[in-house]
Amino acid sequence: MQAYAAKLIDLIELKAEKIAKQWAVDVRKHNRTPSYSSLPLDRVIERGVDFYRLFRQMSLADVPYEAAKTFSWKYAKECYQEKIPLQEAVYALILLRRNLWLYAEFQGVFTSALEQQQAVESLNRTILMYDYVSYQVIEKYQEMIQNDVDKNIGSIKLVMNNPISSIKNIYKSGLMGILILVACILSYYYHAILGTGVIFTHLFYIPIILAAVWWGKKGIFVAIFLAGLILASHVLFLKAVPFVDDIIRALMFIVIGGVVGWLMDGIKKIEDMYKATI
Amino acid sequence: MLASLKLLDLMANSSEAMAKQWAKEVVKNPKTPYYHNSDQDKIIPQAAEFYQKLSRVYTDKDPFTAIKGFMGKFAEARFKEKVPLHEALYSIILMRRHIWLYAEFQAIFISIIEQHQALDSQLRTILMFDYITYAFTEKYWELMNLEFARKSKK
Repeated sequence: MQAYAAKLIDLIELKAEKIAKQWAVDVRKHNRTPSYSSLPLDRVIERGVDFYRLFRQMSLADVPYEAAKTFSWKYAKECYQEKIPLQEAVYALILLRRNLWLYAEFQGVFTSALEQQQAVESLNRTILMYDYVSYQVIEKYQEMIQNDVDKNIGSIKLVMNNPISSIKNIYKSGLMGILILVACILSYYYHAILGTGVIFTHLFYIPIILAAVWWGKKGIFVAIFLAGLILASHVLFLKAVPFVDDIIRALMFIVIGGVVGWLMDGIKKIEDMYKATI
Repeated sequence: MLASLKLLDLMANSSEAMAKQWAKEVVKNPKTPYYHNSDQDKIIPQAAEFYQKLSRVYTDKDPFTAIKGFMGKFAEARFKEKVPLHEALYSIILMRRHIWLYAEFQAIFISIIEQHQALDSQLRTILMFDYITYAFTEKYWELMNLEFARKSKK
């Protein structure tokens, strides 16, 4: 530690609580830090004392930047939890630094010509500390926002990373082609050969939902095709069987395909937003 | 205030030289990795313009309004370039340091009276940068929230 800074550090160590009280009064009524006005005074003072005690810790540390993290991270976490906007959290740090300097001036710590030079050096030291702390606080704030985003859309990550969603497009088209072909064969077999409209159409929901998951709203074309398929097949092969059941089935295909596609488009937007934030 | 004029002159007349020194540091500082692959020809005018604008408001009675104006635009530009906020702010801290380093290098504060002026100039510079930090963070934070809200509405 340089000798010129010792005077200031001693003063801070001795008067940390007093300076913190002055800062607390200032920050709670300052027009650039309105969020502080509703915080309990004791909590604000405690935060100030933590900051002022950091001076000694930083002056003793081999790597002052690392020593600053103990305060910065705690400060950022508390401010973030209290929903203090970042610019206010940073301005409160500025006020912490200013109050320290005001107190030193008020106490007449640096009066002689030599002391004026010491003052410049001490001031540099307080600014360096503030530079480190403000950098670390902002970095931490951004990290916490990122964590919140991760937590809030964690389920989206599951959708993004699931094996069904991540199949390559060429395989998706190939698989969809096969499923539609199977649907055509089943329709022919049940309607033309067996002459019945039993539950085989439930299997059509597999390609309908897969198409919606893969292609969103555009996947509805698969539902429309399959709806058309059972209606056409019915007209061709099941003239004696009432038409109403298959009309309802066809409508349900389109409704389910549309709803799932719409939901998947919403998830895709959140996914894009997530990717943009990382 | 008068004592600060020396630094003000230096800032107004040597903005390009200061900006060049700043650029050399910001492209290799470990706290500003975004800038490491930046083209110096692109970033030097940014810093030079910053110094010019700062020198124009340096002696204003109420510099905050003017600072808010030009730092709002500065924040918008850095936001569009996707410079992380903490790195952008650190690049501004480096700009401040380079004013002082340049002044020291030019040895404009030597005598005892000048030492006193140095302290006065430094306090004025710090006040300016306090406003700059606040205005920049406020605008950048606002843009981040707007972007988040805009994407959520889509």
